[in-house]
Amino acid sequence: MSAETWAIARFTVLMALLATTLVLPPAIAVGWLLARKTFPGKTLLETIVSLPLVLPPVATGLLLLWLFGRRSPVGQALDAIGIDVIFTWKAVVLSMMVISFPLVARSVRAGIEQVDRRYEHIAATLGAGSFRILRTITLPLASRGIAAGAVLGFSRALGEFGATIMVAGAIPGRTRTLAVGIYTLVETGREDAAWSLLIVSALLAFGAIFVSNRLIAEGRP
Amino acid sequence: MAVVASTRFRAKRVLRMTKLQQLLAVGITVATAFSTPVAAQPPGLVASVATSVYDALDEIAALYRATTGVTVALNAGGSNTLARQIVEGAKAGLFISADEIQMDAVEKAGRIVPGTRLRLLTNELAVVVPQSTQQFTLAQLLDGRIARLAMGEPGAVPAGVYGRRWLEHEGAWRRVESKVIPFPTVRAVLSAVEAGRVDAGIVYRTDATTSAVRVVGTMSRKDHPYLDIAYPAAVIVGPSEQEAKRFLEFLKGPAARAVFDRRGFGRPDER
Amino acid sequence: MIDLSIDITMRQGEFVLTVRDRASVEVLGVLGPSGSGKTSLLESIAGIRTPDEGEIRIGDRVLFSSAGNIDLPARDRRIGYVPQDALLFPNMNVRANINFGRHAEGDFESLVKILDLQDLLERRVTNLSGGEKQRVAIARALMTRPSILLLDEPLAGVDRERRDVILPYILRIRKELHVPLIYVTHDEAEINSIADRVLRLGSALSREGLPAAASADWR
Repeated sequence: MSAETWAIARFTVLMALLATTLVLPPAIAVGWLLARKTFPGKTLLETIVSLPLVLPPVATGLLLLWLFGRRSPVGQALDAIGIDVIFTWKAVVLSMMVISFPLVARSVRAGIEQVDRRYEHIAATLGAGSFRILRTITLPLASRGIAAGAVLGFSRALGEFGATIMVAGAIPGRTRTLAVGIYTLVETGREDAAWSLLIVSALLAFGAIFVSNRLIAEGRP
Repeated sequence: MAVVASTRFRAKRVLRMTKLQQLLAVGITVATAFSTPVAAQPPGLVASVATSVYDALDEIAALYRATTGVTVALNAGGSNTLARQIVEGAKAGLFISADEIQMDAVEKAGRIVPGTRLRLLTNELAVVVPQSTQQFTLAQLLDGRIARLAMGEPGAVPAGVYGRRWLEHEGAWRRVESKVIPFPTVRAVLSAVEAGRVDAGIVYRTDATTSAVRVVGTMSRKDHPYLDIAYPAAVIVGPSEQEAKRFLEFLKGPAARAVFDRRGFGRPDER
Repeated sequence: MIDLSIDITMRQGEFVLTVRDRASVEVLGVLGPSGSGKTSLLESIAGIRTPDEGEIRIGDRVLFSSAGNIDLPARDRRIGYVPQDALLFPNMNVRANINFGRHAEGDFESLVKILDLQDLLERRVTNLSGGEKQRVAIARALMTRPSILLLDEPLAGVDRERRDVILPYILRIRKELHVPLIYVTHDEAEINSIADRVLRLGSALSREGLPAAASADWR
């Protein structure tokens, strides 16, 4: 494995780890909201959360490109304080986060829905407030679902391509992830070089599946 | 035995319950520890270049680094994607497009440094067939005596746009249109022809030389002036303007020109 | 001593539960067959479930009043609830379960002693017996020093032979801790041995003959 392959692999894993770490808190919050609360506009929230799953990743990439570009208020505000997103590693992390968010949020939701609400009721009779119940009862009991969601999100982030290439580009040394690298090398006629990236990607995918299976197996009696 | 089993069981349980915290800890620690090399972007020039010139640019950029020490990072992609990125504010210093339409879009958005747009290269279309194909003539294609023709998407991909223009000019588009299989990139067209999944494909002459396909015809500039396949280049408004101008000068220079010639690109003054 | 005043109506589908009673006793028994709404009644007193209309008061404290738009959340009611299947938190051991309550100011040592939990304290809750779980759940509820303790079929998860073992614990709570109890069961003998007054669901009779009206009907 060449030094360049190793660097790309390391970069991709780091970005995916960072993306997963950053996406967990909002995904847990939204997953909990959808699992436990009813409120006007809940269906709308469900739809918005599912969008990155349903839209082609390139479309998501276009949306992100517009959102952080010079023509949107968000992009302009960031530019004013000197923060560049497009064509930087931040764009890689952002696209990974957006793409994996629905997967993580749905897993969290499913995990929390499986927690017997009566535990939460009992905790309330014992005087615990909502946040304490969430922290000490709901989330720990849903931890397997949350962890599975995190692994799923991580795997998706590792392989993320369509949105990434749109908003981060394919710049070697800066934004070239494994998936983007494979595509670019194939596109420019360098299929041989793409093979080593492919093998590393496959190994990482195996690793993620292995961890995910261990999580599922640990839950069985 | 029972003690070992219960210890392992408890260890597993601990692992599972703190998996979330573990993941968080790992993620934050690793990301922070390695954030320095990642976050500190190597200062330098980013050039967005069409896929079909990427190979040539890669070679030239290496020459440039050898002579000036400046690293030019090449962002390769479809010209429409590259143009869209630049319009939305991506900080590329230089843009080399595979057709004028995309460069026009970038210019219209006010992203080009005035006076820096120029024709850098020209190219020609070529019709290619699988190497195993014994008999194939251009006449066959123009008559529509073909089952499947691979092209770039005739509405979007520059090579496809030119391909359609050629066929229309030859009066063959209506006959051939139903046989066209559109592809998102020229690379995909070449793969399809190499694999024999189509009878023929329309690509750039410069692509044909690097692939395992047989060229059956080239649409020369002399005979097909209406095609005018040109690669415009321009400096993009932004923090790397000066560096981009220097690099563009190098691209016009003799060393770069030699590379382009060798790879089959035409000179800009040829019309 | 409970001074409970309850006057509520709860509807669930075609099932209507109406309870009206005023009780000042140490142990209020609630008797009724399975499905008669006993658990719903306890849940509404505990604050887990909201009746459709009516009022629940303990002494002067109004816990719920549909007319006055009052619905005190469960965490503020200081009512201990021991559900039918104990519902011990599976992610904690026995000791952590007992100490979970917010105002866990009860006398831990004495509770553990009364309920004989010394040997169970470090155990995980998932492999306790039914009776053990009930005792832990009772200790957990009592640690918060509730004004009332609600017991939902405490002997239901326990096999026959063990019942005579568990019942004394409950009597000890009544005797040594003086916590008023609301004791729910379908077993008449059980309730007669412990309750000062019995509210019957499914009929309008009251054991003491004091004014009481409780009916659970399928409409």
